[in-house]
Formats: sequence, structure tokens, C-alpha cells
Amino acid sequence: MNRIQVEGREIELDKEGYLRDLDDWSPAVAEQLASAENIELSDAHWQVIRLLQDFYREFELSPAMRPLVKYVGQHLGADKGKSIYLMQLFPPSPAKVASKIAGLPKPTHCI
Amino acid sequence: MTLHIVNKSPYSSRALADCFASFADGDALLLIEDGVYALTGFIADNIAVAPVYCLEADVRARGLQMPKGIQSLDDTGWVKLCTEHNPIVSWFQ
Amino acid sequence: MAIKTLAICRRAPYGSALAREGLEAVLAGAAMEQAIDVLFMRDGVFQLMEAQAPDNIEQKNLWRNLQALPMFGVETLYVCESSLTERGIKLDRSRPAGSEIKLIADTGTFIAAYDHVLSF
Repeated sequence: MNRIQVEGREIELDKEGYLRDLDDWSPAVAEQLASAENIELSDAHWQVIRLLQDFYREFELSPAMRPLVKYVGQHLGADKGKSIYLMQLFPPSPAKVASKIAGLPKPTHCI
Repeated sequence: MTLHIVNKSPYSSRALADCFASFADGDALLLIEDGVYALTGFIADNIAVAPVYCLEADVRARGLQMPKGIQSLDDTGWVKLCTEHNPIVSWFQ
Repeated sequence: MAIKTLAICRRAPYGSALAREGLEAVLAGAAMEQAIDVLFMRDGVFQLMEAQAPDNIEQKNLWRNLQALPMFGVETLYVCESSLTERGIKLDRSRPAGSEIKLIADTGTFIAAYDHVLSF
């Protein structure tokens, strides 16, 4: 079992690095999960992370790429609702990487 | 046209009834496994669709008689029937 | 021409895993840009009841998951008309945002237009 230490708490991850318990998520946890992916979180990243969490609250599932692009386009504007934009923020697989950092389960409808 | 395959007894499952409700002109029905119990009792007298095929091995295994008007198939015949129809809908629950 | 696939969902939610498996198949197909449609018939129309709250039976809310279909590009939900009538269900308000419901009277002809049919 993988574990990370965040702000004195020990947090369990599954073997692919997703949170075991979604309630463990905090912005500090997100920072650490992101750095494991070599991503430094900017405002643009946070915007997508918060939106992903909204998606999960609304539909109770993690989005694959296609719905993620559509949802981002609807909420953040057409210029951001593009795979290339999300690819730049969360390489190499935006739906998976962003879900991981947002503390959501791994998207199941995704290659 | 569609080939409908039913594998549950009509006396314990809605599969055959659901199949009948979605049966279009030119479609075919194939009864396999417990689906062949449709050849018994009042259901047998009330099969309003045609053509109806049965897997002969499943009919014989259950000690049933092959009624008139029902075409029996071996495995090769089953495969041939599948190649002649599209789509194939499995009513398996 | 694209291969057209239809998922026929005729099981109620929660009583068995089939309703969820049907939805998963449709979401997976749509996520891969496949031309996949879904037809709710028989007890499958119970999946469209909007007040589902399965928290206390420890299952995920299938209705909530169904809301995601338009996000995956499945924007038309086909529903067998007689199955609704039989069960006294009216879908006045009950549909995922961004989707339209098309009632199908003749399911036989409807099904015949597809290349592949999955049964759930």
C-alpha cells in the first residue's frame, strides 16, 4: 500500500496513486499528488480541479476525456473546452491525472 | 432482419414475452436451452410469431417433442441462421 | 458508415447489477466515440424515476449517473412507450439535463435498424 504524508497526516493511496478514501482530500493533498505527477498547480489547474469535483458531485462518477472536455467547455468557455488545453495542464492523460489530483476515483470509461 | 434468441423458460421469465413485444415482420425466433419449454403447454399454442427455430439437442435433452411448424437446428444450422440475420438480440434474462 | 450499437436495458435498478452494467457499457462505448444508443424497456424504465435515493441500501445513485449520458454525447434516450404506460410512469420532468426522450411504439422495427444489440 502507498502512503503519503501531508501536514502530519498519513494518507493512503491505491497502487495507481488515487486516494483510497475520498474524504482525505484537501488542497495540500492535491499539491502533493500534483507534484508526484510533476505538475505545479496554477489558478488554471485549480479551476479545472474544482470543476471536476462539481462534476463528481453532480453525476457521482469521474469523467472520461469526452465528457470532461464538454463539461469544461460548458462551464469555463469554449476556448478551455478543448483536449489540447487540458493536455497542457494535466499531461499525459488529463481525465486520469486531473481526477487523481482532485481526489476522485479513477475514471472507469477511459483508456 | 433481427434474429431473437431466447434461453429462459416462458413459465419463469419475461424473456419470451419481451421478445414477442419487439418482434417485427421478417424477424426469426430461436429457442435454446430452457427457452425450448415454450414448446409446452399453453405457450406452445400461443406462439404468434414465425419462423420459430429450436436447437434440437436442447429439445431432446429435456424430453420434449418437436411440434409441427417448428424448425429444428443442429449447431451448424444455428451458426448459419446467425449469419443470415442482423442484428441478433439475446433475450437471456 | 459507422457501426450502430443499441443497448437494450430492461432491468430495474438496484435489484440486480444489470441496470448498472448496461449504463457502464453505454458510457464506455460513448467515451470511445462509438455510435451507441440506449433503449429503456420493461422494468428498465424504472431506471428513469428521478427521486432515487439509494444511500441507505449502500448503492450508487443510478439516476444521478444517468444524468451524465448527455455529457458523454448520448443525448437522445429511447424509451418503450407501452412499458411506461403499463407501469403508470409519466416522464414529464424526469430526464437528464441536455437530453431528449423519444418514445418508441414499435420496438421491433426500431431494433432492426442497428448492427449490434447488447441486452441488459
